[in-house]
Amino acid sequence: MSSDQDHLKETDTEARFEFKKEEKSAFQTEKGLTEETIRLISEDKDEPEWMYERRLRALKQFQQMPMPTDWPGQPDLSEVDIDEIVPYIRPDIETRGGADDWDELPEEIQDTFEKLGIPEAERKALSGVGAQYESEIVYQNMQEQWEEKGVIFCDMDKAVQEHEELVKEYFMTKCVPPSDNKFAALHGAVWSGGSFVYVPEDTTVNMPIQAYFRMNSEGMGQFEHTLIIAEENSEVHYIEGCSAPKYSAFNLHSGGVEVFVGEDAHVQYSTVQNWSKNTYNLNTKRAIVEANGTMEWVSGSMGSKATMLYPATILKGRGATDNHITIAFAGEGQNIDTGAKVYHNAPDTKSTIESKSISKDGGRTNYRGLVHIADGAENSSTSVECDALMFDNESTSDTMPYMEIQESKVDVAHEATVGKIGDEDVFYLQSRGLDDDDAKQMIVAGFIEPITEELPIEYAVELNRLIELEMEGSLG
Amino acid sequence: MSTQVHANLTRDQVEQISAELDEPEWLLETRLSALDALDNLDMPSVIQTPGRTWTNLTDLDFEGFVDPLNAAQDKEREQPDGVEVLEWSEAVAEHGDLIEEQFGSVVDPEENFLTALSTALFTDGTVVYVPEGVDAEDVKIRTTMNSRSLFNYTLVVTEKNASVTILERQSTGGSEARSASDASGEAASVEGERYYSGIVEVAAGENSHVQYGSLQNLDEETYNYTLKRGTADTYATVNWIEGNMGSRLTKSEVETTLDGDGSESHIVGAFFGHHDQHFDINSRVWHRAEHTTADLVTRGVLADRARSVYEGVQDVGRDAWNTSSYQRENTLMLSDDSEADASPKLIINNHDTEASHSATVGQVDAQDLFYMTSRGVDPRSARNMLVEGFFVPVLDEVAVDELRDDIEELVAERLRE
Repeated sequence: MSSDQDHLKETDTEARFEFKKEEKSAFQTEKGLTEETIRLISEDKDEPEWMYERRLRALKQFQQMPMPTDWPGQPDLSEVDIDEIVPYIRPDIETRGGADDWDELPEEIQDTFEKLGIPEAERKALSGVGAQYESEIVYQNMQEQWEEKGVIFCDMDKAVQEHEELVKEYFMTKCVPPSDNKFAALHGAVWSGGSFVYVPEDTTVNMPIQAYFRMNSEGMGQFEHTLIIAEENSEVHYIEGCSAPKYSAFNLHSGGVEVFVGEDAHVQYSTVQNWSKNTYNLNTKRAIVEANGTMEWVSGSMGSKATMLYPATILKGRGATDNHITIAFAGEGQNIDTGAKVYHNAPDTKSTIESKSISKDGGRTNYRGLVHIADGAENSSTSVECDALMFDNESTSDTMPYMEIQESKVDVAHEATVGKIGDEDVFYLQSRGLDDDDAKQMIVAGFIEPITEELPIEYAVELNRLIELEMEGSLG
Repeated sequence: MSTQVHANLTRDQVEQISAELDEPEWLLETRLSALDALDNLDMPSVIQTPGRTWTNLTDLDFEGFVDPLNAAQDKEREQPDGVEVLEWSEAVAEHGDLIEEQFGSVVDPEENFLTALSTALFTDGTVVYVPEGVDAEDVKIRTTMNSRSLFNYTLVVTEKNASVTILERQSTGGSEARSASDASGEAASVEGERYYSGIVEVAAGENSHVQYGSLQNLDEETYNYTLKRGTADTYATVNWIEGNMGSRLTKSEVETTLDGDGSESHIVGAFFGHHDQHFDINSRVWHRAEHTTADLVTRGVLADRARSVYEGVQDVGRDAWNTSSYQRENTLMLSDDSEADASPKLIINNHDTEASHSATVGQVDAQDLFYMTSRGVDPRSARNMLVEGFFVPVLDEVAVDELRDDIEELVAERLRE
């Protein structure tokens, strides 16, 4: 989130992408990601010329942008050496990124699946083992049910082929341009896979659309792109199921999510992520909301070595609403830097942010949030609530909200609290016969309840189960 | 830019300042070292969000502001019984050892470009020394700035079981002072933009109590940088009251390091910006020992095109067991052209902590206004009463009557402009 303030404030930037195309790379680099890599990816996917060109432009931007290094208290990214990452990308179009065999998966991941009680066949799918697994099956079911109403739900690569005009119009043009930040640019250059969702006017998709099994189908699942377009007066709930720790040879995940919420439309995007603990999780997720539309983000960040993720919403039309619910859990060796950004660019817009974080065994959580209320966004209101729970003094929990208020007729409130897990609460529960771990688990479950109650039941159960596993320390 | 300022300053100037104050060699060396460091130092940190630096210090024309050899001011110092309140040359002569020990111990002279500039060039200083066991009355320091630039340095040292209240005021010479300087042919030197810089170091000894109140009412062509920092020893208390009314741009950093077990700090801030004033107000506390307590409360009002940037930091260290830390910041916007930015930060490294912060931004409550106007109060008076009422919770925290009355009066004056 380094460079694109004007874009976020204006959003009427249809033309901006085109402006960029004359940019020349300031330098050519032989090592690292090259145009040749991009050509290979694009050819492999049999992409139209315009997508290939967009990738190249993104690559140039990526090469010109500095790494984010100067944010106060940000995770250490010095290990994220692009030159180290690139070789993973360049030659590996044909090989699949996942393990060939269940037994090759790291023990902790196998262990998690077992403890989650997931059947073996599904475990393999979830962990991306075996290239024969195709997520198409899931998509196909959705299509059958909704296609007669004009709903589109398919793999992003397929969307480029089959829904070219829509993708051409919306893909990294208006919402997340590659110039937004270094990892958005990287994503624009090497993206692969992901979901495409299109919901036509006046259509309510009354069951959650789930993209659960999208791993490695193209060998580069770490750069998946999700594009959701909800037309006027439509409604959809999209759930991204990264709820299993993905095994990957790569150590960088840099996804992109773009959501367009039309007038009076309602989109909920939920995700519970539990990346393996060697992963740098650096994503860009953003929504643009038209008049009276509603965007809801529900996210749980569990795994990864370091996460930098701040889902952003641009409230573009009068009366637009945004709700963020986030939970972060950082255990040993983890640095979860997450939060929410909201730009109030129109009158009568509302936002709420509810953030909960738990840190344990030296883990580090940070809430980093930005609320921007533009001049003219009168009668807007925002309320931010952050609560942090800490288990020990090895752990760290920071809260860094930023509020830029340029309009006087507003109602802005931010509140944050940090506290340790209550000794008295633990004692009380123990005196009722619970052991120490169960008592703490119960307190944590109560602490995150506002999040879990927003999730469909199976995700809520899973989130609780994952936290339980973390609490046992069984995942190391 | 830093090279430009440097180019405008010479070792000779610094040597001359130091010689006039009859300073010992080590202090001259400290000043010269700060001068040399200017080339490599950054401006004080300011908040940055995507594509935006909240306060732009780097574009200020320090070369134009700084006129080190022509500092002029009116100074009043009131010294109650038992305390020594000394002007700088006096202090250097009488308490050389104390100054050598304490100078720069709380604020590193080369912490940033502006502290270094201040260290190299300060011509005026005050030392407040409170010996063991003395309960002092109010110390008063009034500064009226009558020159293009003025660099002030204040050192407060309290020994064990001592207590003191200090009231500091900064203002710029009014029209009389200006016309007086007209007469002396120096009018050009005080027309236009000016720069005031003040560094305050407070070393609060064991179980001592320091209350430091400040009211800044510089004219609106003056740029202002102040860094006030205290360290609190075991069971000591360092409280700050920070009132900001004047200046074109103020960067005010008010900070306490709670170094001793059981130490406390209370930072109360009030500001009222109008026209195109810019206030960058920082309140920061570092909990570095056990059983420490901090409470940060700031309220501000913005009118016209004024802008406020607030950063509050509560930093709880790994060994700061049993910490209590609270922070509140509220801004009231009277105008749509104003802007209120806030970032209250919690940095928590010890879980045995109770910490919270909150911040709000809003306008005068429409219902309250309606209620008052329906009782026959005219809208303007109703608004003024509500603004005055808004400041009450922080004014209540100001334990010094005189300072509270003055802030109240300045707020009332501004509302009635």
